[in-house]
Amino acid sequence: MILGISFDSVAENKAFGEKFQYPFRLLSDPDRKVGLAYKAAETATDRYAKRFTYVIGPDGKIEQAIDTKDPAGQAATLLPSV
Amino acid sequence: MLRYLLGEIFGKGRRAMLKPNDVAPDFEVQDQDGKTVRLSDFRGHRVVLWFYPKADTPG
Repeated sequence: MILGISFDSVAENKAFGEKFQYPFRLLSDPDRKVGLAYKAAETATDRYAKRFTYVIGPDGKIEQAIDTKDPAGQAATLLPSV
Repeated sequence: MLRYLLGEIFGKGRRAMLKPNDVAPDFEVQDQDGKTVRLSDFRGHRVVLWFYPKADTPG
């Protein structure tokens, strides 16, 4: 299961998902609560989420924490995980 | 300065993140269809949680 998440609104994510026909769910975190919990935001007013990816195991624990500015590299890193 | 530049170039693992074996904080948010999603819904499955900066921007 891949969950995308950003600080965008539900409507913005809907448009984004439809435009690119992403096959995964796009989550809306407008108050940055999730971003703060996962350190992808430093304050509740950060404009953008840091480009962090977490692989969370079936036991609910973090398996991998990936910080990247390179989406292609990120995909290559993650493909073996999913 | 050199350390900073190397960090920018190779910039992995330098910013504070949750670490392997940390408990992933549960959350409850809405997906693009307005459906409620909780991390705990996926217990027993592997989940990739991908933070992206902004909808509909390159990369």
